[in-house]
Amino acid sequence: MANDAPTFRSLVTHFTDFLTVAIHTILYERNIYPRTSFLSARKYNFAVRQSRHPKVCEWINDAMAAVETEILKGTVERVAVVVYNQALKPTERYLFDLSRFPIVGAADADVPLERKAADGTTVSVLPVVDIEEQFRATMSKLANCGTVLRPPPVDGTFTVAIELKSDGQAPVSHPQPWMPVEAATRQGATELQSRRTHPLRAVVAGDLMFESWIEETPAAD
Amino acid sequence: MGSRLEQKSNLVRKRIEGHTFEDEGGDEYEGSKFGGFTDYFRRKKIKLQNLDAQVRAQSSDKPQIFKGVVCHINGYTQPSLNDLHTLIVQHGGGFLQYLDGKTMCTHIIASNLTPKKREEFKRYRMVKPAWIVDSVNGGKLLPWDAYRVIDEGVGQKVLGFDNGQVVTQASRKTQGYREQTSTSWYTSQLKGREADTPATVKKLPSFTQPLTPEEEIDDDEYPVPEITSSIERALDQDDYGSQYLSPELPHQPCGVLDAATSLETPPKTSPPPVPSEDEAAAKGRATSPVEAAMPAVESAAAFRPREGSQEPDYSMAIVRNSEKLRDISPSKLADMTAEEHNALLLSDPRIRKSTVVHPDFLEQYYRESRLHHLSTWKADLKSQLQALAAEKSSSQKTKLKKLPGQRRYIMHVDFDSFFAAVSLKKYPQYVEKPAVVAHGGGSGSEIASANYPARDKGISNGMWMKRAQDLCPELKILPYDFPAYEEASRKFYDAIMAAGGIVQSVSIDEALVDISAICFAESGTDGVKRYEGAVHREQRKADMLAQAVRDEVLEKTGCAVSVGIGGNILLAKIALRRAKPAGQYQIKPEEVFDFIGQLEVEKLPGVAWSIGGKLEEIGVKLVKDIREMSKERLINTLGPKTGEKLWDYARGIDRVEVGEQVIRKSVSAEVNWGVRFENQEQVDEFMHGLCGELHKRLLKERVKGKQLTMKVMRRAANAPRDPPKHLGHGKCDTYNKSLQLGVATNDPAVITKEVIAVMKGFNISPGELRGIGVQMQKLEPLKAGGEGAELGSQKRLQFKRPTTPPVRNDTATVGRATEDSIQDDVTPEKQRIADINKPSVAIRPINVTTPTKRPLNMLGTQFVLPTQVDTSVLAELPADIRAKLAKHIKPNVGLPPVPAFKTSEQRHKLAPKDFPAIALPNQSQLDPSILEALPEDVRAEILGFYKSPGNRKRGEQALLPQSPRKVRTLPATKHPVKRKRGGGLFAGRARSNLHSVDNSTLTQSNFVARPLAPKHLQEDGGANTTDTEDAEIEELDPDFLAALPEDLRKEVLDQQRQARLQRTGGIDVSLHQRAKARKKKGTDEEGPLDRLLQLPPRPLKPSFTMRKLTELPDLRTAVKAWYQEFSDEGPYEEDIEALGKYLRDVVVEERDVAKAVVVVKWLVWVAEEGQEVEALGEHARATWDQGVAFVVEAVQSAVAKRGLGRVDLG
Repeated sequence: MANDAPTFRSLVTHFTDFLTVAIHTILYERNIYPRTSFLSARKYNFAVRQSRHPKVCEWINDAMAAVETEILKGTVERVAVVVYNQALKPTERYLFDLSRFPIVGAADADVPLERKAADGTTVSVLPVVDIEEQFRATMSKLANCGTVLRPPPVDGTFTVAIELKSDGQAPVSHPQPWMPVEAATRQGATELQSRRTHPLRAVVAGDLMFESWIEETPAAD
Repeated sequence: MGSRLEQKSNLVRKRIEGHTFEDEGGDEYEGSKFGGFTDYFRRKKIKLQNLDAQVRAQSSDKPQIFKGVVCHINGYTQPSLNDLHTLIVQHGGGFLQYLDGKTMCTHIIASNLTPKKREEFKRYRMVKPAWIVDSVNGGKLLPWDAYRVIDEGVGQKVLGFDNGQVVTQASRKTQGYREQTSTSWYTSQLKGREADTPATVKKLPSFTQPLTPEEEIDDDEYPVPEITSSIERALDQDDYGSQYLSPELPHQPCGVLDAATSLETPPKTSPPPVPSEDEAAAKGRATSPVEAAMPAVESAAAFRPREGSQEPDYSMAIVRNSEKLRDISPSKLADMTAEEHNALLLSDPRIRKSTVVHPDFLEQYYRESRLHHLSTWKADLKSQLQALAAEKSSSQKTKLKKLPGQRRYIMHVDFDSFFAAVSLKKYPQYVEKPAVVAHGGGSGSEIASANYPARDKGISNGMWMKRAQDLCPELKILPYDFPAYEEASRKFYDAIMAAGGIVQSVSIDEALVDISAICFAESGTDGVKRYEGAVHREQRKADMLAQAVRDEVLEKTGCAVSVGIGGNILLAKIALRRAKPAGQYQIKPEEVFDFIGQLEVEKLPGVAWSIGGKLEEIGVKLVKDIREMSKERLINTLGPKTGEKLWDYARGIDRVEVGEQVIRKSVSAEVNWGVRFENQEQVDEFMHGLCGELHKRLLKERVKGKQLTMKVMRRAANAPRDPPKHLGHGKCDTYNKSLQLGVATNDPAVITKEVIAVMKGFNISPGELRGIGVQMQKLEPLKAGGEGAELGSQKRLQFKRPTTPPVRNDTATVGRATEDSIQDDVTPEKQRIADINKPSVAIRPINVTTPTKRPLNMLGTQFVLPTQVDTSVLAELPADIRAKLAKHIKPNVGLPPVPAFKTSEQRHKLAPKDFPAIALPNQSQLDPSILEALPEDVRAEILGFYKSPGNRKRGEQALLPQSPRKVRTLPATKHPVKRKRGGGLFAGRARSNLHSVDNSTLTQSNFVARPLAPKHLQEDGGANTTDTEDAEIEELDPDFLAALPEDLRKEVLDQQRQARLQRTGGIDVSLHQRAKARKKKGTDEEGPLDRLLQLPPRPLKPSFTMRKLTELPDLRTAVKAWYQEFSDEGPYEEDIEALGKYLRDVVVEERDVAKAVVVVKWLVWVAEEGQEVEALGEHARATWDQGVAFVVEAVQSAVAKRGLGRVDLG
């Protein structure tokens, strides 16, 4: 796909691929599943971990498929991987802000993209090498998140969430892969202040641009 | 089972399980003493258990499925007691030969019980032997429940729950003896042998049960023909036919064989051609043996005559020949879901044709259904008559005010065997022979009418063909000939109407006529006073009238009618009996009593065998016997209404008046044949049609209704997928639901909407549907007068419908939209038009979507799905259609903006194909009134655009360079102003305003075209700018400008200025402007598939210092250099602020928190490092600390602004 002219779909696929790897890494780093259940693998020329539990993999793949569908609609502002503690209170959120993705209509997902620089020369939309480097950098940040975060919750769990743009149509249809939730992110200033942000990286590779950071809620105690 | 019962049987069970047998040394093997019977018996039981224990020990390889079960066997069973005993014991169960108490065992096995025992064992587990056998075969203990001997009785309905809905389940019947025989050893042996013989033998159950006299079997218990579906049966018949038909036919003479085929081949639904003379003779010879033979073959094939089906033979033939069904094994058929099954069924085009899925189904259904034909015909006739009678007798009625004691003369005119008589006109050779009219020669067809020779043989109307053919083998079967019937009926009524009097139609071939007035006119009396002569004259006149009617009808139709005359309807009807055939009879008042008295009660109208039977019980046989009865006795026996009526009838009293019409209470449309759906869309589609049909009928009856009742038939849970009657509804659960509509209506759209909603509420899977009916009740007459039918009870506001000018206007606007969108990616104009043209009322005639196609928000969330056409619908158009539309637009754009249009066209040599597609507004935004005003073909074409699947309007829009952060720069902000001018509701008027504005000045279109100018120049090097455009640009209407809000005006003016500058000086446009001008550029030569999507240039990254630093290493260097430069004197405030602003921009605009954080951390580190290395002055240190704190705070606030928590800045 990368050899052909890049399309919005291939761009999104790059991202979801990365997100899949990121989720596996998060699951490993934050001890959501036993570490022994992970295989060592190489992605973006970087040592990553991959869960080998078929159900976990299936869930992640399904979730990524759903995320991809929504991104292709162009309505997603952020994708979040949320880690909950035992009491199902979110403790960490791994956010991927996609608001800088190119805006392409759903019908044109497969239309090749092209970018012209100011001087008229064609600029690569998806420079594969850049992407790999950027992803590698992000992965390494992510893999070391344990150094800045509090110890992972015991018996925690996780989920994937998307935040829509203000004009985005909520994906309510049958079957309904997404559960609508009230927007509870903009709370009081104190709550906001007590949250801590750990920036990961802003990926800029051609037109694949997104920012990622970790949000940590204040300690429960 | 209560615990008390369990206790005992548990004890027994444990005892049996614990029972072991070593050798015959136990005390039970001692000899018994004299008188020691109890001892003996006890020992016997122990010895029996010893036996069992041994059996159990020997068969340890068998699964111990009956562990915990203690059985006792009662009475005769199949398999025998001995076999059952071994089976139970071998599989780990306990067995009791002697039942000391009912609670000793867990299950009692019996195949049948005496009534006494039935009562006695009612509360125990009485199980059929099949339970044991089936459990052993199945290898596990089956629930005993399914094998009850005693159930709650036939009358007890069993409720089943399926998907939240209660469905009926047939309560199982005690099957008794038959069941035993079917599981008996003999049967199994026989079956075993059958397996070797050809399969067809198995299909004849009477072979397998030779010992069972069929008479003894309860009809309902005979499962074979009922279980097999029509399809299976059809297939069976085919098998049978191929094997058995051939050996049987040779018994017939050879010539007959040919005749038989020629007779049987034409489809029975179509009338056979009128036979020529010798053919008819041949047929006459041929029919008798063949037709006699056919039923014989048929009855043998189908085990028992099919009943109640009209067209099974024909349709079965279809099924039989259907390749697709043949390929599927029956077991596979059973596994499919209802929808799959239907889909399979429908995959055969011939079957599909006769089901609801076929688009013409409703029409066809109502055309071909005989019942429907007759009933609608009658309804038609009735309403015609009513209208006619109302006209005619309005004058007479006043005169005819009924006086008490007035004599009456009622004629009852009736055709003699109407269908037969009319049909026989085409087959005169059969007139003297017994002939009947029926649907076909099959045993299942019903006789509609029999002629008098046939009636003499005992054949009557409504008899099944098989019976009739038994009675009269040489019976002729005539086809229906509806046109002829209709014609005859019409002539018949013409004649009756001509006779005068008040006419009431009873059916198509009989009518009641009140001729009193005519008779009184003859006698010159008022009908009350009795003059001998007058009465005579009246009676003679009545007879004359009757004769005249008979003659006339005979002359006109060639068929005989009979007339009965009497003083009321009852007497007229009775008189008619006497008159038939082809005669007339008048019951004179003086002979009424005797005449009626001699009749058998069942001859009275409205009295048949049911009432007759009841009357016979109280000793009434003849009508005169009724007179002996007291009224009370009759009422006690027959109920108040019938009792009183009969009491009156017996005295020749009938109070019903001729011409009293029953008012219609409901109008309905229902289909329950051929209802097979594959999916919900088909259901909706069909309901749409059905509601249309109902609407038609309501219109015909000139009524509208307030209450809508929906009836849905759903396949009963235990009914086969294919009912015995091909495509019939079979056994069904029927659901009814009524809803009040509030306002009486006959609008099909309203009805459809309601009905579909109700249907959704039923939640029935489409495949399970077998019948749907819609009924309208609480009828109200439509207001008279012209097209009153169309008027609802609620008035609709009529908006002035623009006639011709708007058409041009609209196309002009469309045209303008075209140019705009071509020239300006943002196309605010288009939006504006859309708003103006937003339909104020739903488009009815042109609306292509059915109500259900609109998404129904059933999920109950706050999100409402868009009703607009979605992007997938709107896609690209084929080139030829586009070209066509362009043609339409061009001549209509006869307005001044043509130059701009031209330039756009020139430019569009680059992308000519995209041009018309861009011009299309959303379908929902088309003005319906304008569409209506357009010529038919143009409208069709325009609508065609929306239908074409490739159309994608929204997608086009979506790829406009609308960076979310740049919205404010888009000229689209202009349209709010304009939107105000084109309101929704008063679209028509607003538009005409707009029109005049357009004509007076050109500013509007120029405005919108405005943003294109720069880009235009930029791309084409300004070569294309023409003088006209120039002029336009200058022509900004000052009034209009003044009306604009401040900022907009500024923007507009700016643009104008820029354009002017460019034209004169060719100054390069700012990047900002370019961003706006960007547009998708298709590589058009390669077609739409190879398009390239030109991405908008990225907004510039915020940069630091004059050198426009953006990258981290540079920033680091810069920061470090800066610190080193000012380490000893402290930073300047501007620099600190510049850095703070830059970092804020990085966070908020560039969205790279990480970078900002890194820079801040770097600054902090650099500052700390510096402080460690060299001792700084107090002032410098403080300012640096302040500066760092400021930058940190700037970043933190920026981060907070984005809604994120604080970052750790070291």
